Amino acid sequence: MAVRVPILRQGRTLIASFQDDLSDSDILSLQGRVLEDVIRHRATGVIFDVSALDVLDSFGTRTLSDIAAAVQLRGARMAIVGIQPEVAFSMVLLGLTLSDVPTALDLETGLALLARAVP
Amino acid sequence: MDDIIASSTGGHGQPGDGTADQLRWFDITDTDRRRAEALAETAGDVADEIIEAFYAHLLSFEDARRHFRTDAQIERVKRAQQTYFRELLSAPLDAGYVENRRRIGRIHERAGVTPTLYVGAYAYYLHSLGHLVMDRRGQDPQAVPLLLSLIKIAHFDMAQALETYVEAREATIEQREREMSELPTPVLQLRDGLLLIPVVGTLDSYRARSLTVKLLEGIRDHRAKAVVLDITGVAAVDSAVANHLIQTMTAARLMGATSVLTGLSADVAQALVKIGVTGETLRTAGDLQHGIEIAERLLDG
Repeated sequence: MAVRVPILRQGRTLIASFQDDLSDSDILSLQGRVLEDVIRHRATGVIFDVSALDVLDSFGTRTLSDIAAAVQLRGARMAIVGIQPEVAFSMVLLGLTLSDVPTALDLETGLALLARAVP
Repeated sequence: MDDIIASSTGGHGQPGDGTADQLRWFDITDTDRRRAEALAETAGDVADEIIEAFYAHLLSFEDARRHFRTDAQIERVKRAQQTYFRELLSAPLDAGYVENRRRIGRIHERAGVTPTLYVGAYAYYLHSLGHLVMDRRGQDPQAVPLLLSLIKIAHFDMAQALETYVEAREATIEQREREMSELPTPVLQLRDGLLLIPVVGTLDSYRARSLTVKLLEGIRDHRAKAVVLDITGVAAVDSAVANHLIQTMTAARLMGATSVLTGLSADVAQALVKIGVTGETLRTAGDLQHGIEIAERLLDG
């Protein structure tokens, strides 16, 4: 199966940039690859860029939450960046508040956020 | 975006107010209509007389006189009044009649004719007509039932006009409320990454929705990291709007911006507590200055 979400490396930060709406299996395959790469590249931070997504459903949100928790157990921090206004409000209406995952406006602020968090 | 956050605030229906129902309510039957028509001839004969007397009476009042500027205007109104009373006696009481009466009521309302003037004019007409009918047909046993039928129809007629008065007032109030809630909500950039949104006026669900759009799009467009939402100028919010505010601030956090709510009145604070919001889940400050200080610390921290 073709890799739908490439994982890029910038210093010790991994960046997964979502290109279009993902199926559930895409997200699950991404989960495995990210957790592998955190150790392989000795990453300290992971950023999920969702700015191209028009919708983020409950499954996607919960999986992102799970990935964030697992990434933390693997010794890195994760942030989600680029949630669009429409997406943000529909998530809140669905009760998906991602309260345990840091968020940032875009890739740049996300990188700064993670840089501040790492001593 | 609007359709995402459109809530289910539907329009309010009005119970059926068909003309037939109203006629039943006033107990106006075909007999009444026929009796009124029987009066039409007599009334037509004396219409000029009554109207002349009425205007003499009317123009002796300062309040009433200022509605009339020229003699030509008075002549026109007199003619209209003749038609009005002729229709009262002989026009079929149907939906078209009601619509016509309501139209006339709206014209009166706009011209500033008060309900007192309006009902008073009716009373004067009925009184005068009653006297004239009794003078001419006093011996006729049908005279009293004729007048009683006429009074029923006249009350039906007055009800139409008064309804339009109430409707017009309600429309005006609604319009004012709409204007209050459509006051623009500016999104002000205080410095890089810090937005201030002052809300003044009524915060209803309609305006809360547009506030959400402004705030979230403002965060994206200004690349804001902190938003101060100042509601000092809002006296009260209901729990639905309070909930909406919380959802908006949560959505702002998802976009990576922290929001600070400032200027909560006692009523607003209580509305928030009622829906289970506490200071822990929400960043608030007593006044705008403190709120901006908090936001700046967040930006610099």
